[in-house]
Amino acid sequence: MNLKFIKTDLILGIKSWLRSKGTVFWTILFPVLLIMIFGAIFSDTGNIEYDLVVQDLDDSELSEGFVYILKNISILTIIEIDIDEDITEYMLDEDKSVALQIPEDFSEKLQAYFVNTNASVNLTFYVDPSEQTTTGVIKSIISGMLYEYNMGLTQGKTVIGLEEEKTLGQNFTYIDFFVPGMIGFTIMTSMIYGSIERNTKYRKDGILRKLLTMPVTRAEWILSKMLFMLFLSFISTFVIILVGVLAWGLNIQINIFFFVIVICTSFMFSGLGMIIGRFVKEEETADMAGGAITFPMMFLAGTFFPLDQMPDFLQSVARLLPLYYVNEGLRNAMIHADLDKTLFFTGFVVAFTLIFFIAGVFLTKWKED
Amino acid sequence: MVTMDARCPKCHKIATFSGKPGERIKVTCPECGNWGWVTFNGSTSDRETAIEVSHLKKIYGELAAVNDISFSVRKGEIFAFLGPNGAGKTTTVEMIESIRQPTTGDIKILGEDIQMSFDKVKEKIGVLPQEFLSFERLTVQETLVYFSNLFQRHANIDSIIVSMDLKTSENMLYKNLSGGLKQRVGVAIALVNDPDIVFLDEPTTGLDPKARREVWEVIAGLRKRGKTVFLTTHYMEEAEYLADHIAIIHKGKIIAEGSLDELISRYGDESILRVKNCKSKGTIDILRSHGFEVKTEGNGNIAVRIDYKERVLEILSILKHECVDYDTIDIRRSNLEEIFLKLTGARLSEGAT
Repeated sequence: MNLKFIKTDLILGIKSWLRSKGTVFWTILFPVLLIMIFGAIFSDTGNIEYDLVVQDLDDSELSEGFVYILKNISILTIIEIDIDEDITEYMLDEDKSVALQIPEDFSEKLQAYFVNTNASVNLTFYVDPSEQTTTGVIKSIISGMLYEYNMGLTQGKTVIGLEEEKTLGQNFTYIDFFVPGMIGFTIMTSMIYGSIERNTKYRKDGILRKLLTMPVTRAEWILSKMLFMLFLSFISTFVIILVGVLAWGLNIQINIFFFVIVICTSFMFSGLGMIIGRFVKEEETADMAGGAITFPMMFLAGTFFPLDQMPDFLQSVARLLPLYYVNEGLRNAMIHADLDKTLFFTGFVVAFTLIFFIAGVFLTKWKED
Repeated sequence: MVTMDARCPKCHKIATFSGKPGERIKVTCPECGNWGWVTFNGSTSDRETAIEVSHLKKIYGELAAVNDISFSVRKGEIFAFLGPNGAGKTTTVEMIESIRQPTTGDIKILGEDIQMSFDKVKEKIGVLPQEFLSFERLTVQETLVYFSNLFQRHANIDSIIVSMDLKTSENMLYKNLSGGLKQRVGVAIALVNDPDIVFLDEPTTGLDPKARREVWEVIAGLRKRGKTVFLTTHYMEEAEYLADHIAIIHKGKIIAEGSLDELISRYGDESILRVKNCKSKGTIDILRSHGFEVKTEGNGNIAVRIDYKERVLEILSILKHECVDYDTIDIRRSNLEEIFLKLTGARLSEGAT
C-alpha cells in the first residue's frame, strides 16, 4: 500500500475543495441554510404535541399523582378515559395511536416496594403498529419520565417498568427528529454527486488514463478518495449539529453508532455513486443521474416526512431504500437511544454498505475498451 | 538478412530488396530505373530499441481499428505516428501505454513485455494522454509535486519548471492557464519521474500556431536531453519539424515508414529548382549540356529536375559562371501531405474515411 500516494491525494482533495467556492457552499453552507430554514419553520410552530390516552385502573392517590406528572409534560396532551372503557376499542374509534394503562395494583405494588424491594409493577403501553414514528416518540418520553420517577422513588431501582427504553430529553421538538434525516440526506447527496462527478470528469480529462500509466493501484486511489469523502461527511455532519445546537438547541446524543452509521453511509453512497458513474459517461448527464437517484430517495425514505404519513405501498418501497435505514438508524442512535432498534437499522446500513461499496469497487473501470 | 517490398514512386511497381535490419541502402527500380533509399525494418538489439510492436491488432466488432501493425522505436529518437483523425493513432499508443487491451500482438518497452510486466515499466515512462486536463485548483508547482509523489523515481521539479519555461506561471492555478501553457504543464507532468520514454498523444491539438510552436520547442528539447519521444499527431508540419522517424497510419495500417528524407525520396515526386524570370538566352541549353532535365514554363521561368541535393550547388555554380540574369530561385520538394495524398487518395486533414 503506497501511503505516500494516499497522503498526497488526500491533501490534493482538501486543497482543491477549499479553493472551490461552489463545493464549499454545497458542503457547508447548504446544510446550514437547510437547518436554518427548517429550524425556523418548525421552531415557529412550537413543540409538536402528541395525544396520549391514559386509563387509570388503580384510581388511587399514587396513580393520580403519576397521571398529574404526565399532564405536566408539555409535549403530551393527556386524554383520560373511564375504567369501564375498552382501551383498544377507544383507540380505534377515536383514531389514537398511543395509550397507557395504569394497572389496578399500581399503588399496592409501589407500597409493597418499601417492604420488599423486589416488588415492581408494569404499565401497559398500547401502540398502533402502523404509527411507528409517533409511538416511538411517546414511548421515549414516557421512558424518560419513568426513569426520573424511579430515580426519585428508589434512587435508581426500577419499580415501575414499561419497555426496555432509555430516557429521553423532555424538551423534544420536531427539529430533533429532522436532524438525523438531514445528516443522512446530506451525506447521500455529497457522496453520490461527488463520486459520479469525479468519475466522469476525471475520465473526460484523461486523469484516469494518466493514472493507469503510473505506479498507483485502483485500491490506493479509491481509498484515498474515500478518506477525502469521509472528511467531507464529517464536516457536513458537524456543521449541521453545531448550527442545530447553537441556533435551535438540539437535544441529541453522539455515540459510537452515530460514527459507525456516518462512516458506513459515506462508503455506501460513494459505492452507489461509483456504480452509477460506471454507466454515466458524459459529465453533463452526471447531475441528472445523481438527481434521479437522490431526489426520490430523499422524499420516500422519511428524511423530511414521517413514513407513517405515506400510503402503505410507498412505505413498502421506503423499506427497500438504503437511506431509510440510515435515517432510522441515526434517529434511534441519536434520539431514541434504543439499542435494539439502533442495532437492527445499523445492521441493514452495514449490509447495504458492503453490497454497494464492493459492487462499486469492482465495477469502477479505469481501462478503456 | 531481411527482405522488404518497396513501391516505386515513379512506375508504382513493387520490388523486393534484401538488407540487414535497420540498414539504409540506395536501390534502383528494376522496371524504370528510378532510384531511391530503402531502410530495412526488423528488430535491432534491445540496447538500441525503446519500443517494439509486433503484429498489433485491435478489433471492435467488425472494425479493425488497428490492423496488424509492427514497428520499432529507437532510443533517443522522436518517433512520430502520423495520420488523420480516426486512423488508429490513439488506439495504438494507448495499447502501448497499457490503457487499452490489444486484441492480439506483442508490445515490448525497454525490453519488457508489457502484458507481463507493465508495472516494471511505469517508473520509466511519462505519458501525456490525448486532451489531458489536470486538477483545476492546484497551482503548476503543486500539480508537478502531486504527480512526482506518485513515483519512486523523481526529477527535480524546479529544473523541469525552468526547462519548460513555466517559471512565471508556477504559482498560477491550472484552470487559469492558457491552452499552450496547459499543454506545457502536461508535458512537464510527463517528465516528473525523469522517464526514458515520453509518450505525447496529440500534444498540440487545438492550440494556436504560436502556442504550437512553443510546444514544439519543448518537445525538441526532450531529444537534446536524451529522451525517446513517441509522438502522435495529425499535423504534417509537426512531424516534419520534429520527427527523426515517421510512421504514417491510415485505416489502422502503417502505409509508410522512415525518416522524412526517406519518405520523400521513396514516395514523393522529384524536387524541382525553379529559376524565375530568367532573362539570359541560352540558359536552357547550357543546363541541358550539363545533363539536367529542363523545362520552360510561362513568365520566363525555367524548371530543373533535381536528382539529389548536391546537384543544387552545381546548378547555382553554372548560373553564376555563365552570368545568367534572373529574379529569384525557388526549390520545391514533396511534403508529407502530398505523400499521404499519393498513398491514400485522401488528405491528412480530411480524416481516415
